[in-house]
Amino acid sequence: MYILKKQNWHISENEVTDETLFNKRRDFLKLGAAALVSSSIISEKLAAVENSKRKLLKFSKTSFGKGLDLSTFDQASTYNNFYEFSLSKKDPAKMAHTLNPNPWDLEILGEVENPMFISLEDIQNSYPLEERIYRFRCVEGWSMVVPWIGITLAHIIKKAKPTSKAKYVKFTTMFDPEQFPDQKRGLFGNIPYPYVEGLRIDEAMNDLTFMSIGMYGKVLPNQNGAPIRLVVPWKYGFKSIKSIISIELVEKEPLNTWKMINEKEYGFYANVNPEVDHPRWSQARERKLGSFFKQKTLMFNGYEKEVGHMYKGMDLKRFY
Amino acid sequence: MRRVLLFILLVLPFIYLIITVQDANDPIKYIFTYTGLTSLILLIGSLCISPFKKIYNLLRYRRMIGLFSFFYAFLHFMNFYILDAELSLNFVLKETLDKPFIYLGMISFFILFLMALTSTKKLFAKFNKWHKFVYIVLILVVIHESMAQKVLSSLEYSFIVVTTILLGYRLYNYKKA
Repeated sequence: MYILKKQNWHISENEVTDETLFNKRRDFLKLGAAALVSSSIISEKLAAVENSKRKLLKFSKTSFGKGLDLSTFDQASTYNNFYEFSLSKKDPAKMAHTLNPNPWDLEILGEVENPMFISLEDIQNSYPLEERIYRFRCVEGWSMVVPWIGITLAHIIKKAKPTSKAKYVKFTTMFDPEQFPDQKRGLFGNIPYPYVEGLRIDEAMNDLTFMSIGMYGKVLPNQNGAPIRLVVPWKYGFKSIKSIISIELVEKEPLNTWKMINEKEYGFYANVNPEVDHPRWSQARERKLGSFFKQKTLMFNGYEKEVGHMYKGMDLKRFY
Repeated sequence: MRRVLLFILLVLPFIYLIITVQDANDPIKYIFTYTGLTSLILLIGSLCISPFKKIYNLLRYRRMIGLFSFFYAFLHFMNFYILDAELSLNFVLKETLDKPFIYLGMISFFILFLMALTSTKKLFAKFNKWHKFVYIVLILVVIHESMAQKVLSSLEYSFIVVTTILLGYRLYNYKKA
């Protein structure tokens, strides 16, 4: 009798790896190799995916910022100062998934006749959203140009009917250590929380002062201050407070977080001014994101015509 | 052979910088941070050699590490002069005289420059004593690096701790001698 003796390298058909699986292994290896080459490229790709996933907004275009050269979505969404997540500017894009912007109720309180809560849907449904292209200048010396989507702050404030005692507006970022990891660290946090900012009432009611819920056609990415943030284009970026939970109309000038941390370097007004230097660096020129060459910083960041009158006769060196 | 390997190792950060700066969001700032930190870390590295020499003697590599620390400080300065100041000597002078943050860096760079000049065998024998100024550089650079931040992080605290230990060790040895 002939006995077929199997060599030990003979395996049966069902043990053979399927060709598609075999090819998948190659893809997997490629992915691993890619990860080794550059994790930043991958995170950029992820950011692009994220932008395509975010909800589209309906809005009307405006003439604000016509002719300005837009920064890319990638630049604006991967270079963020959001200390509630990290001191690094690259980290918030990777960490901000812990922030839950929906549902969100923005409280309007203080010196108003109609204290109220506004939900994000209210804002989207009861006001026509507009897109405004603004210059954005950070106190650190870099700048970008962003197409924000939202409504003027004046719209929201008028609805609450401020009283005659409402001289200033105080904004507060959400405080929730579950959503913002650095808020868990208490005294060892990067900065004291919650983050607070403020405007004079006339600044708040100025037509340029914007409450943004989106950018680049879609809702705000979390790291850019979702679901709703302030945008004050003629002031340094730290005034444009993110993820706002309350707006309080008050009688006295509120103490904003950066002024509290270092009064000698950061004031209440923080108007962009090429003639008043930061004690450690010049503010005369700025570095637009992505560029190896600097450009001139404009008085009030280029919005002197719209806002200059509010500061007539004020010593801008003293009220920096 | 080891010397060549060390040389390549110390050039690698420069190559990495050239590759990564091309997609940096804020290239000028990125170059500042990158060259500054590399220079400071190499400076600390070169100063750690002498305390450890009994355990592992690397004294003969100290000069090369020190020179590379100067090389990255030089790139740092050139970034300030070429890209940040846009070749305006006027701006460089004004900022240097005006702002502590800048003059601390400038003084350090100047001392490192003199040390690099006097680092040949012959000159080092003569200026050996003056090279103790490197500890002043260390203190100034750690302050300069802290001043570049808006708020301090664990990195700045680590630099302060390491500097304190190195200075403490020097002082202790000096008193013993």
